Amino acid sequence: MTKVAVRYTPIVLIVILWELVSRAGFVSQDVLPAFSDVMVRLWQLSADGEMLVHVSASLFRITCGLALGILVGSTLGFLLAASITAQRLVQPTLTFLYPLPKSALIPVIIIWLGFGNSAQIMVIFLGSLLPIVLGAYNGAKGVENTLIWSARSLGANALETEWQVVIRAALPDLLSGIRVALALSFVLLISSEMVGAQRGMGFLVAFLGDGGDYAGMFAGAFVISAIGFAADRAYLALYHHLLRYREA
Amino acid sequence: MAETKIKFENVEFTYIPPNGKPVRALERLSLDVAANEFVSIVGPSGCGKSTLLYLLGGFLPLEQGEITVDGRKVSKPGPDRGIVFQHFALFPWKTVRQNVLYGLERKKMDAVQRNELAQKYIDLVKLTGFEDAWPAQLSGGMKQRVAIARTLVTDPDVLLMDEPFGALDAQTRGILQEELLAIWGLTRKTVLFVTHDVHEAVLLSDRVIVMSARPGRIKTTVNIDLPRPRNSEVTRSQNFAGYCDEIWSLVREEALVASGVRT
Amino acid sequence: MVAQRKLMNILMGAILPLAVIALWEFATRERLVSPFLLPPFSRVMVRLWEDILSGELFSLAAQTFLRLAISYSIAVVIGVTLGILMARVRFVRWMLDPVISIGLPTPKIAFLPIFILWFGVFDTPKIVMAIVACIFPLIAGTWSGTQGVDKYLVWSAQNLGATRRELLLHVIFPAALPQILTAMQVALPIAFIVVIVTEMLSGGNGLGGAMIEGARLADTARVFENLIVIGLMGFMFLRGLQIVRRRILGWHAEVLQEKN
Repeated sequence: MTKVAVRYTPIVLIVILWELVSRAGFVSQDVLPAFSDVMVRLWQLSADGEMLVHVSASLFRITCGLALGILVGSTLGFLLAASITAQRLVQPTLTFLYPLPKSALIPVIIIWLGFGNSAQIMVIFLGSLLPIVLGAYNGAKGVENTLIWSARSLGANALETEWQVVIRAALPDLLSGIRVALALSFVLLISSEMVGAQRGMGFLVAFLGDGGDYAGMFAGAFVISAIGFAADRAYLALYHHLLRYREA
Repeated sequence: MAETKIKFENVEFTYIPPNGKPVRALERLSLDVAANEFVSIVGPSGCGKSTLLYLLGGFLPLEQGEITVDGRKVSKPGPDRGIVFQHFALFPWKTVRQNVLYGLERKKMDAVQRNELAQKYIDLVKLTGFEDAWPAQLSGGMKQRVAIARTLVTDPDVLLMDEPFGALDAQTRGILQEELLAIWGLTRKTVLFVTHDVHEAVLLSDRVIVMSARPGRIKTTVNIDLPRPRNSEVTRSQNFAGYCDEIWSLVREEALVASGVRT
Repeated sequence: MVAQRKLMNILMGAILPLAVIALWEFATRERLVSPFLLPPFSRVMVRLWEDILSGELFSLAAQTFLRLAISYSIAVVIGVTLGILMARVRFVRWMLDPVISIGLPTPKIAFLPIFILWFGVFDTPKIVMAIVACIFPLIAGTWSGTQGVDKYLVWSAQNLGATRRELLLHVIFPAALPQILTAMQVALPIAFIVVIVTEMLSGGNGLGGAMIEGARLADTARVFENLIVIGLMGFMFLRGLQIVRRRILGWHAEVLQEKN
């Protein structure tokens, strides 16, 4: 317990410094609202339900987009790993698409799908695809032949082998790819909500800022950070749980 | 009688792992190594034989007891006690020649001298022609030859070898053992050689020290009275087998103790 | 034989993009898809060519490129330095460890409105945002690489007489370099994404700004032409980094394997 306290002490120090600097007027309260003010505003926004509306909109979008991405992406990745022809057809295209900043897709998707949920979900889906495809592909390709041969000689047919051996063995790489996609999804979620949405945390933060509610804007930014952080931590726990055989 | 080159006096060492209880690695260990002697240290896993070497090398801090070389106390690492590690520890971003030159560059020699000396030792370990190769391109045996050349070229007073052939396959090991015997015959350095391979210890050494299970103490010393110069032929003699048996049963006793302690 | 193989690979790789382009052109010409949603490929190409000739594209691309180059360079210098300090100086590690631990998985783009508040709407918030977004993996990767240097390499260097300074320069930094370069490869796409987003959001011209303007004015061709340029830019950057990596790490097992 004390170990955790010692580890995060610098954060506490930073917060204290922040409060002092702001309250003492070293920096204008407009530009840097006091930490306490931000917390008060956070409480207000949560209490009157405003925060909840936007948080749920955002969470809904990212969950749909990521879930689709995982489904389609892992299937594509595994299929690719299984067929050399497919690889040779698709590899150069993927290599070119990989460095394309997926945020650049936002304007295109706005034209196609407008400003609603489907647009946000589409952005997240497309953005999360590539890391997941790569993860699944690398994982499946990396499965040692000896594992596959053992399964076949013990009587498994092609489908059973694929499911029980290949996918299990590919899990670490796939899960790593999903983790990357998770972080990317959050960035794309907030970005696309800031650009074109009427609800959602990205929209809220921009809206509050435009309206001069700076404490509220800070509060919103914090909530986003907290959600992103919590999501990653929760995912890590899942990751370790699924791969616990490795650490044993 | 040759004078004492290395002296361990009542050396103790406790190892403190990041999460866990402190472990007594060495207890009241005293040992004398004479000049030009080739001494091997064998013992069960975990008995502290490598720790002994690292303390002598100055890589671990000595808290209890004293270690001296030629009467001088040992505290920090230095080229007077050259070391060769099990996993080669070559600088992967330097070529073979650059690796061998590294110690010489620290000595502020002039460039022509340095290069000549480096080439001499590269030839000595039979790596002529590979001067510009990267370590990643070399086999295990070749890497270890580079490591040996790199250490020997600085002309250390004492040579420390930490299971140097442990990571090599049996054939390569045999070849390098013979080459080490030949090289040692030329330079006659004082060598402290750690290994878990009893056969190897008997083949190479004048004296074999058997360590006890943890905490490490010296169990026995066996003098190897086989004629020099040696090569692999000596392994066929009766005496050789006798020494191996004797030492192996001693080590085995301690190994059983060690595994008993663990459960 | 090898050349034949390579040619085959190139041809096969080209099939997919060519097929897509052909389908694109066909679908739009045959009015299967509204030209508002998807202008014909040919029209996008014409538009692209026009904008290249007029110099418009160059100035847009230059703006984006400069923002990216400046923020990335600053992030690399500060990030790598901090990472090395974290591994070598206990106090720095204590201070930065929770910051990195919390900051790494956090979507830092959420702080963009705050940066706009602090720095206005021109270049500064964009650059600061990109730095903040991509510096975390740089610090973390450098720290990990510097810390994880094989202790036997360090001991060998000390054994051969290296001083503290020589140790840092000759052993620790080269040993950490592969991981530092990997962190740099991770950080570049992040910086690029963020620069594009900030251009879209705070009226900043550049390629991102041009895209969003095109979307607002229903000038779809503009959106697509800039998308293609952005894609090419990203591709060239990453390629550039890969080439740099191969040269600097010419000694590394992975590079030598590739050569074979």
